[in-house]
Amino acid sequence: MAKKIRMATAAAAMVPLALLAAACGSSGGGSSSGSSSSPSAAASSSSNGVSLTETGSTLVFPLFGAWQTAYNTDVTDVTITGSGTGSGTGIADAATGTVTMGASDAYLSSSDISQYPGLINIPVAVASLMVNYNVPGIKKPLNFDGKTLAGIYTGKIKMWNDPAIKAQNPGQNLPALKITTLHRAESSGSTFLFTSYLNAQDPADWPVTAVGTTVSWPSGAAAQAETGSGGMVTGCQSIKGCIAYIGISYLSKTQDAGLGEAALANKAGKFTQPTSDAISAALASFGTIPASGSQSLINTSDPKGYPIINYEYMIVKKQQASAGVADALKAFLKWTITDGADPKFLDAVGFEPLPDSVATVSQNLISSISS
Amino acid sequence: MATSAPAAGPGGGAGNPLLRRPGGTRSRFRFSGFIRWAGLGGAIIPLLLLAFILIVLLIEAIPAIKFNGLTFFTGSTWTFGAQYGQPIDSGGIVHQPGESFGALPQIVGTLESSAIALIIGIPVSVGAALMIVERLPKRLAHTLGLFLEMLAGVPSVVIGLFGALTFGPFLAHHITPWIASHAPDVPVLSFFRGDPGQGQGLLTSGLILAIMIIPIVASTTRDLIRGVPILPREGAIALGMSDFECARRVTLPWISTGIVGASVLGLGRALGETIAVAMVAGGNLSQIPSNIYQSMDTIAANIVQNLDAAITNPLGTRTYAELALVLLIITLAANILARLMVRRVSGTALPVGRGL
Repeated sequence: MAKKIRMATAAAAMVPLALLAAACGSSGGGSSSGSSSSPSAAASSSSNGVSLTETGSTLVFPLFGAWQTAYNTDVTDVTITGSGTGSGTGIADAATGTVTMGASDAYLSSSDISQYPGLINIPVAVASLMVNYNVPGIKKPLNFDGKTLAGIYTGKIKMWNDPAIKAQNPGQNLPALKITTLHRAESSGSTFLFTSYLNAQDPADWPVTAVGTTVSWPSGAAAQAETGSGGMVTGCQSIKGCIAYIGISYLSKTQDAGLGEAALANKAGKFTQPTSDAISAALASFGTIPASGSQSLINTSDPKGYPIINYEYMIVKKQQASAGVADALKAFLKWTITDGADPKFLDAVGFEPLPDSVATVSQNLISSISS
Repeated sequence: MATSAPAAGPGGGAGNPLLRRPGGTRSRFRFSGFIRWAGLGGAIIPLLLLAFILIVLLIEAIPAIKFNGLTFFTGSTWTFGAQYGQPIDSGGIVHQPGESFGALPQIVGTLESSAIALIIGIPVSVGAALMIVERLPKRLAHTLGLFLEMLAGVPSVVIGLFGALTFGPFLAHHITPWIASHAPDVPVLSFFRGDPGQGQGLLTSGLILAIMIIPIVASTTRDLIRGVPILPREGAIALGMSDFECARRVTLPWISTGIVGASVLGLGRALGETIAVAMVAGGNLSQIPSNIYQSMDTIAANIVQNLDAAITNPLGTRTYAELALVLLIITLAANILARLMVRRVSGTALPVGRGL
């Protein structure tokens, strides 16, 4: 009994502590919101004060963060908030109306459209996907084609000094190190781009059924699942012998982590890295973009082109709830492909602006949004 | 609701002046009627909720059940098919080409990881409980008990993070390579041979689950041991039994029913644990682990990680409803099985579920 009472007093003693901690936390938040409350209050009183929300692609997220800061500074009556959750969540949340915009590296699939006919995908920038690795002692970029990568991800190629890898990398001193493949745990546009490349280069080993934002990974490989592009970087950094696919916007982070960046074979069989020129060359090799904005930019035939590039999409509902939201959304999306396409935003993440013809298609898609 | 009970209740009493008490009678009876109805409602609502969940899941899952058939339990490929292909309409059910939902790897993964958690968690918990009650000085035991209860309150996402960032890599770098190369090649133990992986997989999931069930099982067992009467134990000690013999022959048999019950509580937690397992399982939807280190997935982890993809797939939400139904049935079956075991173990001498 005495023990019970003692325990009760101990618990009672901890309650004020917890309350104190909570109070400190909230007072900290309160003071910071207090300082910023006057402009935001002014904004909401001066006009409609629309709030636009975004979730989705972690590849876009660094860019969206910069956009969000700039736009919220310039346009005070619209509040933009974003978060990086993976393209699958972006599409799903835009479809269900949880958010205004879903960012995705993948255009809407026929399956998405059959489920949610009201969705449109608007290209806003051109991005690319790297293949990175953590192999000690490799100075020059390693070369891979889709067949070798498919072999690695199916588990047929298990060691870094496998003859298949050696054949494409003469003169490289590949160690006898086990390969660990990293893949995304959640539904991801990067996964879609990477598996699209494997399928385009090696349809026999990587069937079209294994292409998508969520993939049933073959069970042979020593595999790890990571959450988000950031998770891929830190995961690969901590595992010697790993291989991973990571969006170009994480280039500086992969370099800080000491990861190598592969040169990938295009359809012409030439190994290229995602430089600005290689991306532009690849982009030029694909025909005119359809009016829907959905176009795959995988496996270019241009010998100088990089084989895994893509349009970054904003997924929105064509029919918005109110005229206020629709107008704010249209204004913001238009800003992303004009002022937002400035090199000061895009260069930091390694993206390229849309070519004029694609920007026109995007403009048309943006104009089609109504309330 | 409240009016019908007083009408029937005090009807008899009202006529007899001896039974009527001055003032408050009606309100007293009305109150008791209210309590009765509220109690009845309280008793029925959980039952209705369970039935409601089962029925809604079943209705939602019907197209998936038709499409998947028995492959759902025998197949080991879980794929959304060609997401960029044209949807196919076969017999009124729209699906993507190449779509296949075989949940066997996840069912096996759920059961295996929970089994590892129980195999490790129960002995540790019972040992800890015995130690706390019978061996340690009161003050230390009290502190330890407090920590045990605090461990039970650690959010699972924190434990998952610990598993993914610290515990899993530590195992893979320092412990499992040695075990993997030294385990003898005999049945059962050969499951410990092979590629030790990188710290995500069946073993890490099982151990993380063990960490999560130990506080539940241990604190329940501790309370059970405290409830063992002193007389039989004094008798055992008077007969010259050692502490260990006393625990083995008197204390543990006395509370065996309760331990089964406590283990079921732990099992329930392990079967349904989602986020911590999702963080350390390795997320391999179609792999039945061939050694204890391989990446896998559980039903709950699959649901939380791939619901996004399911929402935009014509058959996705249907199939996940079916998967949820399977998890629900496994959990219910485990509970029912445990109840039967408790009844068998306890026989007639001990009340069922003593101490719980």
